[in-house]
Parts: sequence; structure tokens; C-alpha cells
Amino acid sequence: MAETPDQGGQGTIEASGRNLEEAIRRGLVELGVAREQAEIEVLSEGRPGILGVGAQPARVRLSARPQPAAAQRPTAADSTPEPVAAPARARRAPRTTAPSAPSAAEAEPAEAPADRLDDAFVNQGAGTPRQALALDADLVTESAVDVLETLLSLMDVDADVAAREPVTPGDGAGMVAAVLDVTGVDDEEQGLIIGRRGETLSALQYVLNLIVNHQTRSHSLFGVDVEGYRRRRETALGDLARRVAERVRQNGQAMTLEPMPPAERRIVHLALSEDPDVETISIGEGEARKVAITPKR
Amino acid sequence: MKELVEYIARQLVDDPAAVSVDEWRQGDRVVLRLHVAEGDMGRVIGKQGRIAQAVRTLLRVPAAHDHAYAVLEIG
Repeated sequence: MAETPDQGGQGTIEASGRNLEEAIRRGLVELGVAREQAEIEVLSEGRPGILGVGAQPARVRLSARPQPAAAQRPTAADSTPEPVAAPARARRAPRTTAPSAPSAAEAEPAEAPADRLDDAFVNQGAGTPRQALALDADLVTESAVDVLETLLSLMDVDADVAAREPVTPGDGAGMVAAVLDVTGVDDEEQGLIIGRRGETLSALQYVLNLIVNHQTRSHSLFGVDVEGYRRRRETALGDLARRVAERVRQNGQAMTLEPMPPAERRIVHLALSEDPDVETISIGEGEARKVAITPKR
Repeated sequence: MKELVEYIARQLVDDPAAVSVDEWRQGDRVVLRLHVAEGDMGRVIGKQGRIAQAVRTLLRVPAAHDHAYAVLEIG
């Protein structure tokens, strides 16, 4: 993989930050060069941790590159044919609620060059140790809460958002970094945000994760729940699964449940995973995919 | 609704300055036409139109508040 671009110690520094962008920005300021003039190696992408626990800062190594920006890139790991002189853009989270401001140009002077976190300039230093430094705030979760609040407010929904750790399979325990609970929604509104078979809730969760991952360059997954809907659904699905399993056991005949989204099928699979008499399997494609419960042979 | 589409699009594209949304109403239909830089089309449409579809689903909420339904067009 890519070698560490050790271009003679002097012009090389290391910087850290709560996320990659911040680390790079700090490094560029310290080095006193524009992003185009810097060789950036990611030492650690950092981790948001869960609710501030286990967070690790992002770390980068920067060196001033001798050639002008448009010259060929020296890193071997580069296969992206993206043009170097791409237009600058802001992809930082709008911490403000003014969504129409296209570039959340904050007062920090180094913002502009550091804004663009381009793959072409980031040499993913594979094999470099990712060591833990001091704990830091859970920035990714914070920005996820921000994004969800913004989405809801733009959807004309009055609600509160709070992050918590996932506990049950229905929460996405083991899969999501945090569950964002949406509360304070009045009753009529709840059904609207949840949608048929949780469709709107899933869309909200999907768009939220796209935005957060794009903004923070992380691959964290966040669950979204509205007034405990997923919990109630989980309980109901577990009961249903056990009831149908009982009939399968008695009749010796396979039965299929209604089509369900993946997260709900997973709950059914898990609910019956330890059942000695039946097995579960998902059949069908896409929207029509459903769980079949069959007698164990 | 326009702001919702603009916000989501700007967060996902490479060129947020090129994002714009036209909104007009025809009876109970609210039509939203989203424009993005050509290279960003995939970022707002998604594989098999998944992102566009999710945005359409989200639009149902504010549309319902207005007793309307929203139509999202891209391009």
C-alpha cells in the first residue's frame, strides 16, 4: 500500500482534531500552506464513540508538497481521476439552522482551503497504527442530532431529538452508533412521520445517514425512532413470531409472514433464532421480501 | 418544502452552489423541480432512484400539512 510520504522531516507535521476536516484544517494552519500545496496522510479517521464514550480524535500527517498543485500526484494509492482544480465547496455541517446558506463559511480564516476534503489529496495511510489519544466529544452524534433537527424543522414538524445508546435488536444494537429519539410529537403527527409500515421513518433515517456520512466522512449508522415506535413494533413482532412459530410447530407446515422491511425481518429472525423446532428464512425480493417460518427437520 | 429539498441536496452534492429548486403549485399539487450540477445528478437520485424516492417520501409530511401532495422532479 501507500508509503508514508516522508518528504524530509522539516515540512512535515502531525495534527489532530475532532474529525478529519478539523485535523486537516489545523494542520494546514500550522503548516501555513493551502490545501492544494499539502500532502495529507490520514493516520486515524477517529471515532465518534457512543455518547462521548470511546471517542478518538482524527489524526493526519501533513507535508508541504514541492510541486505546484496541478502537478501529478505522487501517491501510489491514487486511482481517482478527479481533477485537482475542482471547485471549492462547503460540505461542513450547517451548524446554523439557515439551510439556504450554501457555504457555511464560518469566521475561521483557514476554513476555505480546508473545506474541501478531497479523496485526491487524502492518502489513506493503510497499515498505520490507529492509536487512542485523549477522549473527545462525540462530534458525529452531535452532528447527527443537528441534521435530524434541521430535517424535522424543514418538514414543519415540532419535535425534540435526543441521542441514546441502542439496547435491543429493534434499536439496532450492535449495528448503530446511537439511536436518535424523536419525542414531543403530537399524536396525529406521529402517524405521519412514521408512515405506512414505518416507511417515512425509514426514509428519514436513510437521508439522515447519507447526510451525516457525507458531512463527517464517517461510516456511522444512526437509528431514528419516533415516540418509541420501533420498540412497540419490536414487541409486537416478537409476539407475532412466537405465535406463528407455535402454529408451525403444531401443524408441521411452513407459514410466511407479511412482507416487512429488513430491520423488522431481522427482529423476527432473532426472536426465533433459539427456537429448537422452527427455522426462519427470508424469501422474495425487494418490497415483497418476507420471512417464512418452517419446521426444523 | 423547497427548503427541505434544497437542504438535502446541498448536503449531498459536490457543488452546493449549483443547487436550486423551483416550486410552484397547481391545485393540490406542489411541484418541486430540483436542479444540480450535472456531475451531481447521481448524488441526489441514488442507485435505482433510492435517494430521490426517500426525499419524495419525506415531502409527504409537509405536503400533508398543506393539504397537498408534492411532486419532485429532478433536472
